[in-house]
Amino acid sequence: MAKHETPLLDQLEGGPWPSFVSDLKHQAETKPEVYDILGQLELSYKDRITHWKHGGIVGVFGYGGGIVGRYSDVPEQFPGVEHFHTIRVAQPASKYYSTENLRKLMDLWEKHGSAVTNMHGSTGDIILLGCRTEALEPFFWDLTHEMGQDLGGSGSNLRTPECCLGTSRCEWSCYDTQETCYHLTLHYQDEIHRPAFPYKFKFKFSGCANDCVAAIARSDISVIGTWRDEIRIDQAAVKEYIAGNYPSNGGSHSGRDWGPFDIQKEVIDLCPTECMWMEGDELKIDDKECTRCMHCINVLPRALRPGADQGASILVGAKAPILDGAQMSTLIVPFMKIEKENEFEELIEFIETVWDWWMEVGKNRERVGETMQRIGLNNFIKIMGLEPIPQMIRIPRENPYVFWAEEEVEGGFDRDIDEFRARHAA
Amino acid sequence: MPLSDDELKDAICEKAAKSPKPQLYIKDFYKCDPDSKPRKIKNVANELVREGRLMFWSSGSTTMYADPSRIQNEEKNR
Ligand code: HEM
Ligand code: HEM
Ligand code: SF4
Ligand code: SF4
Repeated sequence: MAKHETPLLDQLEGGPWPSFVSDLKHQAETKPEVYDILGQLELSYKDRITHWKHGGIVGVFGYGGGIVGRYSDVPEQFPGVEHFHTIRVAQPASKYYSTENLRKLMDLWEKHGSAVTNMHGSTGDIILLGCRTEALEPFFWDLTHEMGQDLGGSGSNLRTPECCLGTSRCEWSCYDTQETCYHLTLHYQDEIHRPAFPYKFKFKFSGCANDCVAAIARSDISVIGTWRDEIRIDQAAVKEYIAGNYPSNGGSHSGRDWGPFDIQKEVIDLCPTECMWMEGDELKIDDKECTRCMHCINVLPRALRPGADQGASILVGAKAPILDGAQMSTLIVPFMKIEKENEFEELIEFIETVWDWWMEVGKNRERVGETMQRIGLNNFIKIMGLEPIPQMIRIPRENPYVFWAEEEVEGGFDRDIDEFRARHAA
Repeated sequence: MPLSDDELKDAICEKAAKSPKPQLYIKDFYKCDPDSKPRKIKNVANELVREGRLMFWSSGSTTMYADPSRIQNEEKNR
């Protein structure tokens, strides 16, 4: 496995940005098979077609996920990438690593694979790129026995769940995202490792609407922290912000002089529901109009805090696919208590109601958000046993999302309309 | 009446042996017994994998089930 001429790829090293081409060349000095990645990619640039063969029967015994089979379709030219399987490894909650754990993992990957990694994949887990079929089981043995770590999800499985820092570091977290993520990961081991579904399924946990793990954009069930009482206001701190004694946004925009802080322009005018105003030097919030977007709290962290009655909103149906458009999750349950005391019973019941329905009704390779769209939100919430509420849609006045079923109409659809009109003119 | 576990296993294996393409979606097995719940069928299909009577085939984004001898044959010719 020698170096190949790669004039097209070399152009990608020319810019002021980091280059994967430089990284791979560096890696190839100790792992010569990596030259063949560069060689094959150069050929793809020339031929304008991929030379990877997708999929296969590779895996570790009993697991229907965690390994993604990849082969070269030109192995005679590039023997180093004849097999080049990807391994997904579950990341620790919120991606807290010890250097010891990272070093061990990298040593393991040097030993069994190409040493090329992607930290982290778009699902959030650790991606180890490139090893041969015969290396899979030995790698898996060492990973599980020496490191006590497990493979993540792939294929038609529950994918590795992911969470934000949550209460471990963030004062805004409205529930313990790490505990929830960890508990559900253990609870659903079978669904992570053994394909059960029409297609992939993801959950992600954010402690507040800042949504640091982008749950609303990337997960089939997005659990996003919120509160149902009032934003807690410290009026003395509000005055300090107005006087310029506290830096707004926790000082995160201090790299440049933006002029004096203007609460009207930077907070009140930017509230999406226009539910804030000043009364003298007091900041007022009409909490029943507030959508809990976090904007004002982000700007004035020392003056404003989420309410004390905390839980999460549950949204369903995001996807970022290759076919069709990307789609955000739709709000289904505005507020749910997320509690360890009852082992997350309410959330688990919700998840399983979605699954039982989707496993039955979802078409092959159809994400739950697409199934929802196909049958309509009104039918979906009926299946979930929920009443329609305005929060489920963006502009309730403009969207006739609730349709009457015949049994809900007094006299049914065949009632005597003339008799009705005699009493109510059209 | 749902089939017994053994009857369900046989029905699934027969389907995997005779399907036009060796790779089958889990949903394709639902038809083996309309009276069994999807979760039950998933569990039985996975037991068959552990017994070596079925095998996984994955594209990376989708996982399918297959008859081992048929799929290994197909993989050889890829
Ligand atoms: C003097 C004449 C008209 C009057 C007083 C009138 C009045 C109205 C009213 C009160 C509504 C209900 C608006 C709402 O609920 O938001 C409406 C809706 C509507 N009108 Fe008229 N209308 C007139 C002429 C027309 C004509 C000539 C057309 C079509 C050629 C038309 C097409 C519609 C349509 C399509 C809607 C439904 C709009 C929607 O819901 O988005 N109207 N009209
Ligand atoms: C190629 C031709 C047309 C296209 C692509 C088109 C597309 C659309 C779309 C996308 C909507 C919105 C539907 C929704 O919000 O759910 C709409 C609404 C509407 N269109 Fe068209 N339209 C076409 C022709 C026409 C014509 C020729 C008329 C009338 C003569 C018409 C009358 C209306 C009316 C009245 C509405 C509002 C219906 C309601 O809100 O209840 N459209 N159309
Ligand atoms: S999503 Fe909210 S709670 Fe979680 S880390 Fe981000 S800001 Fe903090
Ligand atoms: S959280 Fe958002 S919607 Fe609520 S008051 Fe603050 S800016 Fe307005």
